[in-house]
Amino acid sequence: MTLRIVAMPRRRAYPPRMSAFTRTFWEELASGRFITTQCPECGDIAFPPKPHCPACWHRPVQWIELSGHGRLYARTTVHAAPGRFAEEAPYTVCIVDMAENVRIATRLVGDPSVALDSAMELVVLRYEDGPLFGACAAGTAG
Amino acid sequence: MEIAIIGAAAIPCGRHQSRDEDDLEILEHEVLAGVAIDAVEDAGIDKTAIGAMVFNYPRAYTKQLYFGTFMAAQLRLACDGVVMEVVGNGMTGGLVFEQAAQQIRSGRVEVALALGVNFETAVPATTHMNRSMRATGDVDFHSPFGFTPISWYAMDASRYMHDNGVGRAELAQVAVKNRQHASLNPLAQFRKPVTLEDVLAQRPIVEPLGLYEVPPRSDGAACLVLSSVDFARTLDRPFVRLRGTGFHHEGAHQISERPNAMTAFNAARRAAATAFASAGTTAADLDLAEVYAPCTIVEVLVSEALGLVADGQGAHACMAGETSLGGRIPICTSGGLLSRGHPPFITPLYSFVEIAEQLRHRAGRRQVAGASLGITTCELGNYNAALIHIFEAMP
Repeated sequence: MTLRIVAMPRRRAYPPRMSAFTRTFWEELASGRFITTQCPECGDIAFPPKPHCPACWHRPVQWIELSGHGRLYARTTVHAAPGRFAEEAPYTVCIVDMAENVRIATRLVGDPSVALDSAMELVVLRYEDGPLFGACAAGTAG
Repeated sequence: MEIAIIGAAAIPCGRHQSRDEDDLEILEHEVLAGVAIDAVEDAGIDKTAIGAMVFNYPRAYTKQLYFGTFMAAQLRLACDGVVMEVVGNGMTGGLVFEQAAQQIRSGRVEVALALGVNFETAVPATTHMNRSMRATGDVDFHSPFGFTPISWYAMDASRYMHDNGVGRAELAQVAVKNRQHASLNPLAQFRKPVTLEDVLAQRPIVEPLGLYEVPPRSDGAACLVLSSVDFARTLDRPFVRLRGTGFHHEGAHQISERPNAMTAFNAARRAAATAFASAGTTAADLDLAEVYAPCTIVEVLVSEALGLVADGQGAHACMAGETSLGGRIPICTSGGLLSRGHPPFITPLYSFVEIAEQLRHRAGRRQVAGASLGITTCELGNYNAALIHIFEAMP
């Protein structure tokens, strides 16, 4: 599915590096698709994406698209932030368990008081210098 | 070869690091040399007995590089074992201890020092976190969102409260209890008792945790003198015997890729099972626990993982006084990371210092009466790895 895109009126405080391998992830994210790697041998789905299967060490792996749906496992609102993030504080980060049985950590956007176990959806955070992903309560992406 | 702690010394945790612009600076090697000499005097041995020194890798702010070999010259200590520095995030001090113990186990040396210094408080927290966030997260897939080291523990708190119907005040009682313990410890950074109301009134740091529920920033220096038990017996004074050890790394960095019960601290459960089995003891045999717990919630979770309290009951047990001095199983009699202080790369050394004091019955007003068996833990990440030691008094 295509993720909704949320405009973020600033540059990323700590941009991720990009390799020839991870470029695929970030370029697909920019176009609204959340992809990761799956092992063609044992079926293990990894996140973050890896050029090998962390479970059985098989290479190569294949890219698959995730549904973008999950449930909120944990969250916190960060008030004491690293200097790079000072202008954004307070901000909320979270752990989301995806429908495909993959756990991810990300920024929580929208209502920071969303209850644990709530249905969540991933969104693309379109910063001025490139994308990140985020999560919000399902159906609330603007 | 069995391992003994025969000497220990440390400076009080606190703000010691000077700034570049200060006329007179406080230099790490001068401080640590004094602590090492104190510890060796405490052991009552001659420096020529020492065959190895294992240090923590110093903070990036320490100007003197190759710090361990520089210290060998400061102490003019020739060694046939190793002189080395080790690192492993918050577990570093525990690995220092383990590497020193390995020198003795191998038969290469009879006495080894486990020591180090961690100075960082003159660096503002906001600057320090620009670096530390890169240690407790994937630089490309976590750090861009602004996860800080303690944000992971705060997420543990959110989940634990949700799953167990526990309120913030019950978690916060851990901070009150540890401050009470610290009030009796001359090595503690914060010794003025606080009330639950005081703790709850502090500004939020990482919700639901406020200022007194997260670790202070601390400098420190500590030294343990380790030997074989056979050597310790020749000294004709009380010592501490290492009775069991356990380690487990769950193969995850901060979070598991597969959804699991994050608050179960599975690495601590595995390491504890190994440690108890090797010691031939159970949690019920322990007289005290000095655990690595940077936040209130972490003490609750590790006390459950070790089996000191029942799962889901860690906060209730603290509220009921079971984990206080005088209670069923006193936890963090030093005041713990929250009040004793948290100079991260050597925090576990301070845990060993407290165990050495308690099990030699020298802890003064915070002495656990008749203490004979104690446990320490240290960890890295969000307890993704745990190193656990069980110690026994040898009066």
